[in-house]
Amino acid sequence: MSDEKYSERTAGIVVTHGKLAEELVRTTELIVGAQEDLYAVSGSDLCDESVIDRIREILARREDAHVIVFVDYFGGSCCINSVRAVEGETGIKVMSGVNLPVLLAFATKRGTMPFDEMIEHLIRRGRESLKVIDL
Amino acid sequence: MIVLFRIDDRLIHGQVVLGWGTVLKPDRIILADDLVASNEWERDLYASAAPPEIKVSILALTEAAAQLKAGVFEGEKVILLVKHPRSVLSLMDLGLPVSEVNVGGIHYREGREKVLENVYLDAEERSIMRELVKRGVTLDGRALPSSKTVTLNSRVV
Repeated sequence: MSDEKYSERTAGIVVTHGKLAEELVRTTELIVGAQEDLYAVSGSDLCDESVIDRIREILARREDAHVIVFVDYFGGSCCINSVRAVEGETGIKVMSGVNLPVLLAFATKRGTMPFDEMIEHLIRRGRESLKVIDL
Repeated sequence: MIVLFRIDDRLIHGQVVLGWGTVLKPDRIILADDLVASNEWERDLYASAAPPEIKVSILALTEAAAQLKAGVFEGEKVILLVKHPRSVLSLMDLGLPVSEVNVGGIHYREGREKVLENVYLDAEERSIMRELVKRGVTLDGRALPSSKTVTLNSRVV
């Protein structure tokens, strides 16, 4: 399978409470190297509505065919605000429950498979990463 | 029975569902807001934000007041959420008795001044708060049940 076929770029925007987004992106880069088009957006403590504007700013200048907005908590204000920010846009998915394995999979797999397949892959990766370790 | 009447511009979100929900164990959240109630997309968005064990009613203010007064939710523990201080006044004008309101989250935007970490008010909102105080309402400024108790009454006069 040639990577050429899926060379459409996919950007990532991580939207969280606190400083989690910055730290998740920073830690991802620590492990797999500097990332293009992977953005961190967070409210200082809670997810302020100004994050809607910041997400839209990023979307406005995007050159990418697809975007995944990763949010921390399903039903939280970051999730609600992200859904609001991308309303009416095409080629964008909002995914909740972001964790480090999901972002690492995103960073290493984007561009190697079709967008929908990658979404499935990330969901699977996130779920697989939750497990009790046998001792 | 209303176990919490809260002003929160984020309406249904983590602080309400997890922070207060864990302590109060509500059966239902009533989101009383004319704009949200009139827009299907908004209704679906907020309805999806609550966990499956908490029922959600999204009602226009008149409808919320009518149903609450009629005792529709009598057997349930209810968290009543509104977005603006003026909605509290509207509900009172519609005949809903209110003795205490939790001012949980009114966030910064231009024209608002800081009252608490989680509460910013503009001049109009401040005067509505004063009116609520005049009508005998206690304004509780806690973001979460575990937050330090702050009564806002003296801070808005």
